[in-house]
Order: sequence, then C-alpha cells, then structure tokens
Amino acid sequence: MNSYVPILVLGVLAAGFAVVTVVSAALTGPKRYNRAKLDPYECGIEASPQPAGGGRFPIKYYLTAMLFIVFDIEIVFLYPWAVSFDALGVFGLVEMLLFIATVFVAYAYVWRRGGLEWD
Amino acid sequence: MHLLYPVVLSALLFCTGVYGVLARRNAVLVLMAVELMLNAVNLNLVAFDVWLRDTLHAGQALTLFTVTIAAAEIGLGLAIVLLLYRRRGTSSVDRLDELADRPDPPHPDQGAGPDPDADQDADPDARPAPDATSDDQPRKAAA
Amino acid sequence: MSATAVAAPAVHSLWTTAAAAPIHAPKIEYAQLSPILVVLGAAVAGILVEAFVPRRARYGTQLAVTLIGLAGAFAAVVGLAATGYATTKADLAAMGSIAVDGPSLFLQGTLILVTAVGVLAIAERGLEPQSREVPHVDAFAPQAAAVPGSEDEKAAARAGWSTTEVFPLTLFALSGMLVFPAAGDLLTLFIGLEILSLPLYLMCALARRRRLLSQESAVKYFLLGAFASAFFLFGTALLYGYAGTLDLGGIAKVVTGDAAPNAALNASAHGDALLLIGGAMIVMGLLFKVGAVPFHAWTPDVYQGAPTPITGFMAAATKVAAFGALLRLLYVALPEMRWDWRPVMWGVAILTMALGAIVAVTQTDVKRMLAYSSIAHAGFLLTGVIAGNKQGVSAVLFYLAAYSFVTLGAFAVVTLVRDAGGEATHLSRWDGLGRRSPLVAVTFALFLLAFAGIPLTSGFSGKFAVFSAAAKGGAVPLVVVGVLCSAVAAFFYVRVIVRMFFAEPRADGPSVAVPSALTGTAIAVGAAATLVLGVFPQWAFDLADKASVFIR
Repeated sequence: MNSYVPILVLGVLAAGFAVVTVVSAALTGPKRYNRAKLDPYECGIEASPQPAGGGRFPIKYYLTAMLFIVFDIEIVFLYPWAVSFDALGVFGLVEMLLFIATVFVAYAYVWRRGGLEWD
Repeated sequence: MHLLYPVVLSALLFCTGVYGVLARRNAVLVLMAVELMLNAVNLNLVAFDVWLRDTLHAGQALTLFTVTIAAAEIGLGLAIVLLLYRRRGTSSVDRLDELADRPDPPHPDQGAGPDPDADQDADPDARPAPDATSDDQPRKAAA
Repeated sequence: MSATAVAAPAVHSLWTTAAAAPIHAPKIEYAQLSPILVVLGAAVAGILVEAFVPRRARYGTQLAVTLIGLAGAFAAVVGLAATGYATTKADLAAMGSIAVDGPSLFLQGTLILVTAVGVLAIAERGLEPQSREVPHVDAFAPQAAAVPGSEDEKAAARAGWSTTEVFPLTLFALSGMLVFPAAGDLLTLFIGLEILSLPLYLMCALARRRRLLSQESAVKYFLLGAFASAFFLFGTALLYGYAGTLDLGGIAKVVTGDAAPNAALNASAHGDALLLIGGAMIVMGLLFKVGAVPFHAWTPDVYQGAPTPITGFMAAATKVAAFGALLRLLYVALPEMRWDWRPVMWGVAILTMALGAIVAVTQTDVKRMLAYSSIAHAGFLLTGVIAGNKQGVSAVLFYLAAYSFVTLGAFAVVTLVRDAGGEATHLSRWDGLGRRSPLVAVTFALFLLAFAGIPLTSGFSGKFAVFSAAAKGGAVPLVVVGVLCSAVAAFFYVRVIVRMFFAEPRADGPSVAVPSALTGTAIAVGAAATLVLGVFPQWAFDLADKASVFIR
C-alpha cells in the first residue's frame, strides 16, 4: 500500500493546485472585459473585418503559419533516420528520398495554387 | 523514478483534455483540449518505451507519428472551424444546431430544415435546367 | 523478449538506460503492399495534376488518373489473391505491419470496387442547374475557401471552377481504408485510421448547396472524430504498456501467456488493468468509426450535411474498413479476452440495433433516415462479430460487401430527386414519386427492400448469414433481438415505398434529374450487385468463406 502514497500525494497536489489557481484568479484578478479580449484570437489583428456574408478574409497569417507547422513537423521523421543512418544504409536513403519527394509534391501543390504568395 | 509518476500524470492530463472537450464551448478551445489528450498519450508512450527498454523503440516511433498526425489534424480542424466562423461570426459549438433530430422541421418544404443560405448559395447566373420542372422519367436511369 | 533474457537491475527506473542494440534495415515486400501503394501513387499523381494541369483539363485528367489507379489496385488485389496470399501464402508484410491474408484482400477488393462506384457518383456534373457559360456543374463548392454567398464565390462559380481535389482526397481516404483492416500492429492501425478520417472530414465541408449544413457537419465530424481517435490512441498506449509490443499477434501471445510480458513490466505488475482499459478504449475508437450506439451521435448529422455523393462513399467504405479493423483487433489481438469483450459487445449490438431501427421510424429526411438505418445495420454486423467463429467472419465479410453496394446505390438515387433548392430530401417531397418516374422509384424501392432484408435481395443473404453465424456461436437471444429489430426497420422502409407509390404526387413536387452515364452506372452497378448477391449469393459466400482466416 505504501507505494501508492506518492500517487495520492500527487493527486492531492494536482487538485490543490487547480483549486487554488482557479479560486485565486477569480478572487484577485481584475475583471475588465473589452471587445478585444472576447475575441477568439488576441493577436492585434482584426479577426474578420467583414464577418458574415462577404469579402475575402485576410488569410495569409493563418495559411503561412499552418504551412510552416505542417512542413516543419513532417521533417521530424528525418531525425530518427539521421540517428540510425549507418545501420539503415542504402535502404534508408532510398526510403527517405521517397518520403521527401512526397513532401515536395505537397509543396509543389501549395506553390502552384498560390499558397506562398505574400502580397 | 518509478513508472507510475508519468503514467498517472498522463492519465490526469488526458482527463483534463476530456473535461475540456466536454465543457468548452469554443471550437478552438475544444481543439486545444484534444491536443492535450494527444500529448497525454505521447507522455504515456515515451514513458512505457523507456520503462520497457524496447529495443525497436516502438513507443517513441508511435509518438513521432502522433505528433505529426496531430499537427495535420489541427491544421485541418482550424481550417474547417475558420470556414464556419467566417460565415457565422461565431465558433461556438453550441450554436451548431442546424443539423439535429426534430420531430417536425419548421420548413418541411425546404427539405433539410431551415436553410438560411439557400438563397445566397444558388448561383443567380445559372438558369434552371430545361427539365427542372418537367415530369419526364429519366432517359438513362438504373436498369 | 523473454523474462530471462533481460536481466532486470535491482532498481528498475526510468533513468536506467538500456544497452544499444544493433538496428537492422527492415525488409519491405513491395509486391504484397502493391494495392495500397498503387492507390497512394495515384493520389500523389492527383495532387500533381492539381498543381500543374490547367484548370480546364483537370476534371478529365483527375477522373482518368483516379479510375486507372483504382483499376491497377484492384488488379493487384486479384493478383495477390490468385497467387494464394488469401489462403496458403498469407503473410505479414513489412515487418509485421501489414497483414496480407484472406480478410485483408477480400475487404481491400470490396473497398476498391466500392470506391470506383463512389467516384462515378462523385464525378457527376449533370444534375445541378447549368448555364451556357458553365456547362458542367458538380456537387461541390466552386471554391471551398470562399465565404458562401460572397463575391469571390460567385466569381468562382461564374468562372466554372470546381473542387477537383475531391478525387485525390477520395484516393487518400481509400488508401487509409486499405491499410485499416490489414493493419498488423497498432501503429499501422492508427495511421490507417487517421489517413481515412482526415480527407473525409474535409470532403464533408465541400457541398455546393447548403454550405452551412455541410460545414456544420464537417465541424461535428471532425471534433467528435478527433475526440474518438484520442481515446483510441490512449488505449494503444496502454496496450503497449501492457504487452511491450504494438504487434497484434504479439499482444495476443502476451494475453495467453505464450510470451512472457516484459520483465520490467512484470516487476510493476499492473498488467490486467492496462489490458482491460486499453482494449476498451481502442474498441471504443473503432465503434465510433462504425457508428455503433453509444458512439453514433455524429452519424445522422454528418450523413445529412455532407454532399450526398460523399455521404454514399463514406457510409459504404468507412463501414467496411472499420469493421475489418474491429474484426482483426478482436480476433487476432484479443481472442483470449472474449469472455470480457463479448458481454459488452452484446449490449452495444442490442442498443445499436434497437436505437437505429426505432429512431429511424421518426425521421422525416431521407438522408437522416438512411443514417439511422446504417446505425441499425452496424448492429446487425456486430452480431456477426460477436459470433466469434470462422463462420462469423465470413458472414461479416459478405454482409459488408452486400451492404456497401446497396448504400452507394441508395445515396446515388437521392442525388437525382431535386427541386429548385437542390436535392429534395424531405420525405414528404417523395410522395408519388413512383408515378412521376417509375424507374427511379422502383430502383430506390429495391435498395430499401435490400436494407429491410427481404428475400431475393443481398440484404436478406447478408442478414441470414450473420444471424445464423451468431446462432451457431451461441448468441441466440441476440438473434431474436436482431430479427425483431429487422421487423421494426422493415416498417419504415416499406412506409417510404408506400409513399412513393401510393401517395398523391404534389403539384409542386420535385423532379427527377436525368443522370449522366456516371451516376447511371453507379446506380446500375448498385442495383445489379443487390440482385446478384440476393439471387445467386453462393459464389460470394464461398469467396468470403475461403477468405475468412486471419493470419496471426
């Protein structure tokens, strides 16, 4: 039973932390809401200048960020390959080239469809 | 360090994520809660991998896949939520009630219940097909 | 890894590091993976077409690439099956990640055929109102990123743009579906799940008309799907922690005690909880995909909101892939746990059949009614899964093949019945359809009778197979419930038929659009499969029976 004491302590700590932060934030924090704070994104840029029904949405920030994240993270597969490059040899090299080729296909699509144009 | 600490922590994180999905009303925050659940899984996988001394590191490999797929999933999810937000000006999941079981839809003649954008969606330049109102039976239907 | 081989140190800790073991390059049997690789290759080619082919030529090129890819993949499946991979040479390819065996090849063949028929319905461009400048209009948004009703969208519609990305997206979804029932380990299972889901989420949001509903269905499908796959993944992590391997066969060996669990884990010995909770969470993720109660909430909304050709494809193909994966998980990884999972699945199956059949009675929208009917069918399929014997596997395989073509055909018919606002999906609009266009009404009635399981249709053969397998497997009460639910379900199918043929047609009723050869072929194939599998089911039973052994 002794070995379960740490979990219990951890649970109490976690619950205590949650309760203390929520309660103290509610008690001490100033409650000054304005329009900007109620927006879904607080980045200083108007989320949608003409919301329902018309106009083009300035999507470049979102698009660029998303493209960066997706391509950035796809490349994570290069790390394990790099670590075991010796052991995998030619097989690993060919497979990785195939993988990178498919990533470049996606890149070519983005490029041709104007996803990289920053006007 | 014992295996239990990371496993319990990940279970707590996962439960926080579940709570977030169930309690949050903003679709973006729901997405964040889902991310939290996936990261709980990652923690769990890495902890088990190290604890089991898996020589093939299956757990870490799965973690890599989870991270990439989660990124793709969030990119896609944000795109869909953004589409909805631009049309409706809200990303609250409570307001997504156009599709629901109703005993009797308010506008039976419109087909699929209320359809506020039916007018805007119709292409004004397109004229109706010549046979749109005729009662002909199809020339080439199923045999 | 046996318990004796690894000498556990006195204090096992996360900080102690293992000695580095040499890594060997894996062996990949490309020929055995060829169906999946061909489909993926065609999908990648489709993306290149989107990037480099001028807009005007894209539709034709995409359709050609897609159909050629599907034909190649189907040839690969047939080739593998003919060389004996379905029976004697069944093998675990790619270091155990992909099982090339009977159920895999049967379901992959079914999925490719279903997708080919689905693609025909997706490619239809003759049903929407057309103008002289824009002669071809398909069912998808001209520019999916534009706000519905905005100037941008109108400009895109005038220019005759269309979202030809649906073709590569369909192929990507299909490649995930091909991986899903063939996955030999949990990692591959997860990858298959995500690759099949992500394109479907997107395709749900692409409807040309009723964009708001379409986008809403995509958000709902996406949020619930992501939630479910997180559960699936947590279950995967727990099972990995329990068995020390992601291999389905390896997990089964640890469950039976043939292979000792990892020494390190044995020392901490929380095994059973990990196994039970992990297994339950994985099954939960799969039950979400098949749309079983209580994880069915997304089904009616998504089926109603998504563009109808996509709904047809999704309803048919996802069910095939997800039931394949469920069968493999339960029969390969957790067969020794059947005394734990069977009672739960009993409950799920009964609830699914009953709720699907009863709630469908109250529906007034055709697509929603078909959605609830698909829930009821998930319940019938689950009775075959519960049977737990070889006959159950072959019955489920047959049922999936039969059901998917009926579903495709039914949704393809729904795309034809239209009025000024697009598809007329409200049931009251279908009054008297049989008098206006008897051929369409008769075809739809055939599909409904197949759903109801009337003899001489494929639905009857399928239901007979799963129920007799379940009875043989000792689940007689379940069969009784199944038959009762079938009777309830038959009521609302027949009600629609009565409306079509015996109600007075309304003056402002919908018209039946004349389909091009594409949708026409899709409906004809669906109807033909329904009749052939209903009248001469024996060859298909034999095929499914031969294909019903999982490799472990």
